[in-house]
Amino acid sequence: MSGAPAIAVERLAKVFGGLRAVDDVSLSVAAGERRALIGPNGAGKTTLFHCIAGTLQATDGNVRLFGTDITRLPEYRRTGLGMGRTFQISNVCTDLTVMENLTLAMLGTDRRKWMMHKSANSLSDLRVRATRGLAQVGLDGRTDETVKFLSYGERRQLELALALGSNPKVLLLDEPCAGLSPSERQRFSALIRALPRDITLVMIEHDIDIALTLADRVTVLHRGAIILDGTPDEVKTNEQVREVYFGLV
Amino acid sequence: MVPRAALLIALTVAAFCVPLVASEFWVTLLMQIMIFGLLALSTDLLLGHAGLFSLCHAAFFAVSAYTVAILQVRYGFGTASAAPLGIIAGTTLAFVFASAVRTRGVYFILITLAFGYIVWGVAYRWASFTGGDNGVTSVPFPALGSLRVTNTVAYYYVVLAVVLLVAAAYRLLVASPFGLTLRGIKSSESRMRSMGYHVGRHLYAAFVLSGVIASIAGVLYVYFNRFVNPTAASFPVSVEAVLMTIVGGTGTIIGPFLGSGIILILRNWVSGFFHYYTAVLGIVFIVTVLWAPQGIMGLLARWRSGDRGEGV
Amino acid sequence: MSSAAILQAINGISLAALLFLLSSGFTLTFGLMRVVNMAYGAYYLLGGYVGYSVVRATGSFELAMLCGGLTIVVLGYFVDRFLIRPIGGNHLAQVLLTVGVAFVIGEVCLAVWGGDNLRVQTPSYLRGSVTLPGDIYYPRYRFALILFGTFAAVSLWLLYKKTQIGAVVRAGVDDREMVNATGINVDRLFVLVSALASFLAGAAGVAGGAFLTLNPGAEWDILVLALVVVIIGGLGSLEGAILGSIIVGLLDAYGRWLFPELSYFILFGPMAILLLFRATGIFGKEH
Repeated sequence: MSGAPAIAVERLAKVFGGLRAVDDVSLSVAAGERRALIGPNGAGKTTLFHCIAGTLQATDGNVRLFGTDITRLPEYRRTGLGMGRTFQISNVCTDLTVMENLTLAMLGTDRRKWMMHKSANSLSDLRVRATRGLAQVGLDGRTDETVKFLSYGERRQLELALALGSNPKVLLLDEPCAGLSPSERQRFSALIRALPRDITLVMIEHDIDIALTLADRVTVLHRGAIILDGTPDEVKTNEQVREVYFGLV
Repeated sequence: MVPRAALLIALTVAAFCVPLVASEFWVTLLMQIMIFGLLALSTDLLLGHAGLFSLCHAAFFAVSAYTVAILQVRYGFGTASAAPLGIIAGTTLAFVFASAVRTRGVYFILITLAFGYIVWGVAYRWASFTGGDNGVTSVPFPALGSLRVTNTVAYYYVVLAVVLLVAAAYRLLVASPFGLTLRGIKSSESRMRSMGYHVGRHLYAAFVLSGVIASIAGVLYVYFNRFVNPTAASFPVSVEAVLMTIVGGTGTIIGPFLGSGIILILRNWVSGFFHYYTAVLGIVFIVTVLWAPQGIMGLLARWRSGDRGEGV
Repeated sequence: MSSAAILQAINGISLAALLFLLSSGFTLTFGLMRVVNMAYGAYYLLGGYVGYSVVRATGSFELAMLCGGLTIVVLGYFVDRFLIRPIGGNHLAQVLLTVGVAFVIGEVCLAVWGGDNLRVQTPSYLRGSVTLPGDIYYPRYRFALILFGTFAAVSLWLLYKKTQIGAVVRAGVDDREMVNATGINVDRLFVLVSALASFLAGAAGVAGGAFLTLNPGAEWDILVLALVVVIIGGLGSLEGAILGSIIVGLLDAYGRWLFPELSYFILFGPMAILLLFRATGIFGKEH
């Protein structure tokens, strides 16, 4: 098991009616790696991402997390096995406070979520972890603020903190910098770069520059299939990739 | 929060003093307010915390009441066994109806409405067992061994004690991690799923727990009324319970009781001079939805924060 | 099949015809406007009472149906415009508000027509019975109701599936924003569909009032049946309303005949089982 890749996708296919959104895709992400999935609109990267995350069920093929077959598992089970994810459009509990959100993130994989006889505030170890988690993403001043009063950039930071809250071994980032201003993007990508290497990262990123600077390896998709799987330099200089992005294929 | 704690303490003390200063009419009315307030509270666990609008809670209320009544009147059971069995009966039904949590939104509303109707229909048509329209009468006052309730005032204190106990337990429940997960689900189910929660299971548990509270209210009710008939399971009772919660303010503990007080005092007052009270109730529904959807507690909160110049 | 069983089947179908008139409006209003209107039962009752009075005054059943329908068209318009529209898409608020409206309408009916069971007088040409094959005598009126219900179902279906207006409505049910974006005045469409639904509810009241009684509480009895129809058939689906009405009508008739004390179980049992497997009903879509 220790040699198993963090994520192993084997011959994955996702079919919507007549459309093969993902067509016979296989890839392997090593533990600790930073992998970017890129491709033009409609390439299938989002669909592939969702099949890995569990929001969509693959039509064919399988997905393994450190060797365990998770293909048919619902989302919440994958989280229990060590997968975390962020959403492309900010998806946080806006009626609750920052601290409450993070508490929920940490309790998600903790049996104490079923406790009915003691206040949630009394779980002091969670508060300590939460404070650290908020500092890690730069939200330490906003602990008791109700999330609906947070700016969009701050909500993205919270998103990341929530995904990290369950101590994931693999973190899936869905366009983490989407909707952020240029300065916010800089800060956010620095945050991502600072994440420890015991977490494997798989991200979709539309901004090719960010993707190429953050990633160790890049997988390029086009029309549901992989056209290149290599280092950022290889991708930068590849003719086919250039055509797919800037030409008319 | 200081003002809220003070309000709660004041109300509790006042509640204890009522029978000493007020007439039997008020004692009876207050008992009704507490019992239906408890039923309203049961719907609020789902509405205010989990975001589910249930229209069948009168079913658990009634099943529990009927069980107690039938066991005591027809089979000679004592309170010590009839009351717990009543709660168990109501809770068992909640276990069955909780399957409704497979749906959301409007489907959940309609399905619970239909479920509630089943119980009313059975109470009404299975006359050989439930007494049909006539219901079950002559339910005695509760008695536990040598402790017997012999009059209204004594029962008032029983009801008050039970309601306070349930309210205290409820307070722990909503502040607990479980309570927090419900509010998380209400806010963003997809987020909760991605954080590792089996949403369906949590909602199922919440539904059953709310059924327990409604069943307790049912037991209190049948000893108060000394009689139960299909009306106890009817749609108006279920929908009024939700209205009470909204008028008082969802997501709070005192809200459902406040709402119960307002609705029941209004009914008592209006039906004294106007025969068509239900129309007034209908207007209360309309006005509340259009102008005060956060209820009294919401209005108070807005007034308080508006005073300090903060936003809502 | 015994003649008693056939008789019950026809009873069920005649109830189905009535239920279709009521539930088709409810389901289309939801499908197109995302409005849950719990006052439909009260619309039925008020329409029925108005029809009752019109028949008593003029003797014309046709006029009664027209008046019953039109009364609700007017009332429904005001409820939609001034009460429902301000609260937007919040279903909980819609339910509470329209329940309140139903309570008010119910009390007004009680004040005007009293608490006795009333029945709309059937027109003379529909009294008596028809003889069906197999020597079965069946009330002519209920038979006519089945024909009328079938006619209404077929017309609505053709209108919905085969005309351009129907296509626009269907598109609106599927994707409201898209239809708006094409420049079609969706609001006016809503008013039209709503008016049709209201008319059907009021007319159904008159039709139903001739063989079921009109009395306080009848608005909830019929509403619950209509709700089971749309739960089983799927909210927003016309085919669902047709199929659901038939299922509920037959279940009600056979339930009452075979197990009168547990007939509500017979009625709701299949609905509950269906829900365990398909929460949005047979033809419903995830919204």
